[in-house]
Amino acid sequence: MSDDPVGTEERAPYVESPIIMTTVRIITPFVFTFGLFVMFHGADSSGGGFQGGVIVGTVVLMLGIGFGIETTRDWIGPTLPVVLVGIGVFAFLATGIGSVLLGGGFLEYDVYPIKKAFKYGIEFVELAIGLIVAGVVTGLFFVVAAGTRDTGGDAA
Amino acid sequence: MTPTEIGVLVLALGGVFFAVVAAVGLVRLPDLYTRAHSTSKSETLGAVLALAAVALAFGDDLSTVKAVLLLVFMFLTNPTAAHAIARAASEQGIEPWTTEDES
Repeated sequence: MSDDPVGTEERAPYVESPIIMTTVRIITPFVFTFGLFVMFHGADSSGGGFQGGVIVGTVVLMLGIGFGIETTRDWIGPTLPVVLVGIGVFAFLATGIGSVLLGGGFLEYDVYPIKKAFKYGIEFVELAIGLIVAGVVTGLFFVVAAGTRDTGGDAA
Repeated sequence: MTPTEIGVLVLALGGVFFAVVAAVGLVRLPDLYTRAHSTSKSETLGAVLALAAVALAFGDDLSTVKAVLLLVFMFLTNPTAAHAIARAASEQGIEPWTTEDES
């Protein structure tokens, strides 16, 4: 096994570890909830879209470590991270340019005709940023996990 | 000193002791498996005892609940992470250190 240079040999199929699986099953919903909690707290206390997005992205990392990286990659599919990033960027831009269209500046939330527009606007933008960060972290994880074997592949 | 202060002190000192044990093991032991062996257990206990001291020091507060939650998750995840690292190393074919390697 150690005679081969790294990467040329076929990897043995991943065998799930009951210890890791149990922990992942217990922890995952809490981590996801905590990530959303951190995202929603961006407006008025510590936290925010970047930190919360990383925590939500960690959920996918944990699933990858628990179920095996190739299984998780097949389950996530090639388009989901890209779609997440796209939706996040679109929501951010729509919020910003929408306020311009309503006669304010870029991301000037007060022109939106809703109560406490400033607070909800910031939280919406934080959610969008969280989506972007979670998608990017997930994509980067799979790119790094793929190693250097296939050159020229992109994030998906 | 009140009983609470004594309890916090005992817990914090226990946490520091186990953290020092983990650090000594990390520096002194020869390879990955022995280091994981020494650090995973004692580092978990060190962190858990320190967090218990924090929870006790907060008293009647929402922060106590947060500290206890942190404690529970630390207790769950830390050994699992050590297990995952040691397992990955074993799958990569890293040989455990034995005294025969020393010559």
